[in-house]
Amino acid sequence: MSTSRSAGKKEAARQRIAAKRAAEAAAQAAERRRTRVRIGGAVGAVLVVIAVVVTIVVQTSRSSVAADAARPGNTSAGGNGYTFTVGQADAPVTVDLYEDFQCPVCKQFEDAAGPTLEQLATAGTVKIVHHGMAFLDSAQNDDYSTRALNAAAVVASTAGPEAYETFHDLLYANQPDERDGAGLTDDQLVAFAQQAGATGEDVGTDITDLVYGEWVKGATEQASKDGVTSTPTILVDGTTLTDRTAAGLTAAVQAAQRG
Amino acid sequence: MRIDVARPWLALAARLLLGGVLVVAGALKLPDPAAAARAVRAYQLLPEGLVGPVAFGLPVVEIAVGLALLAGLFVRTAALATAALLVVFLVGIVSAWARGLQIDCGCFGGGGQVDAADTAYPAEVARDTAMLLVALALARWPHSRLALATRLETATP
Repeated sequence: MSTSRSAGKKEAARQRIAAKRAAEAAAQAAERRRTRVRIGGAVGAVLVVIAVVVTIVVQTSRSSVAADAARPGNTSAGGNGYTFTVGQADAPVTVDLYEDFQCPVCKQFEDAAGPTLEQLATAGTVKIVHHGMAFLDSAQNDDYSTRALNAAAVVASTAGPEAYETFHDLLYANQPDERDGAGLTDDQLVAFAQQAGATGEDVGTDITDLVYGEWVKGATEQASKDGVTSTPTILVDGTTLTDRTAAGLTAAVQAAQRG
Repeated sequence: MRIDVARPWLALAARLLLGGVLVVAGALKLPDPAAAARAVRAYQLLPEGLVGPVAFGLPVVEIAVGLALLAGLFVRTAALATAALLVVFLVGIVSAWARGLQIDCGCFGGGGQVDAADTAYPAEVARDTAMLLVALALARWPHSRLALATRLETATP
């Protein structure tokens, strides 16, 4: 009796020990798994941080404008080198125009109020400050925004801001379709440049070779830093013009004149 | 189908949806860094010194979190990170909307600058809110089918 009872006890003890060992092994396995997950997580986090830092460095250099970039002449006196001023320097009202040559709403504004604006400039009431932007480049239009603004800078540099104004009007009158248009060709841009009075022998190559390509990037960046988020943005003495019609423009200029 | 059978499959669908959107959204911001910087600057929330790091670093984080979700690694952490990103995006969009800024959210690349006044704030907010709810649900029930983490666990002796 007593022997079999003690054998039963031993068996029970063996089972308890086996169960305890199994539990310990399971706990160790779980601990090993947790360690692996922790190591994996740490390695993953370090890799993400490295990727973030490398990308920031690479993208910063890709998006920065070269310091030795060619800059056009005849930019606004006392300006940041990215604007062209048309009209008399002592005109009482300043109208800032932020436009992209590919932007259809800019064309609408130019068609509706462009002639009025130029009459006001001729009369000595306003001076127009052109801020070019190029953010509507696409594969379809063969980066037309950039090519057009570069060409406009070539025209201003060669023949002065008045020629820029003429070239600007020609490009809006002949604006290619934003979505399915192929942009104007370089040859067409050169022809318009000559029509606007830029006749130097370098004009053709300066337009074709995007001599002010880096400057165009800088101009777009500058507009963004000026807080401009949509085109056209028209400021009459610093106030955004909301009614972009000839009447709206005239009223805003008169209000600015009254102070 | 009973819910405990369906749930891992729903979690898989959530992983693929969120992961796919994040990877695409991040990848589209890489080719034109200048446009990405303009998009961040357009919100007028960050000082100029932080515009570049955020514009260039954020897409990498989006892609990393998206890949973790697609692969099924650290699903709960990745779902919480997704929710945090979406909260940041929502704050940006709603604050731009409230301040009357006319910007494109730049969510899937693009320049922040819009051609006309064609902003799409309600749609952007609705989309991000829906994704936020999916991310929170995934963080609550991260167990899913076809997750790499489960494979690695069962493969080890």
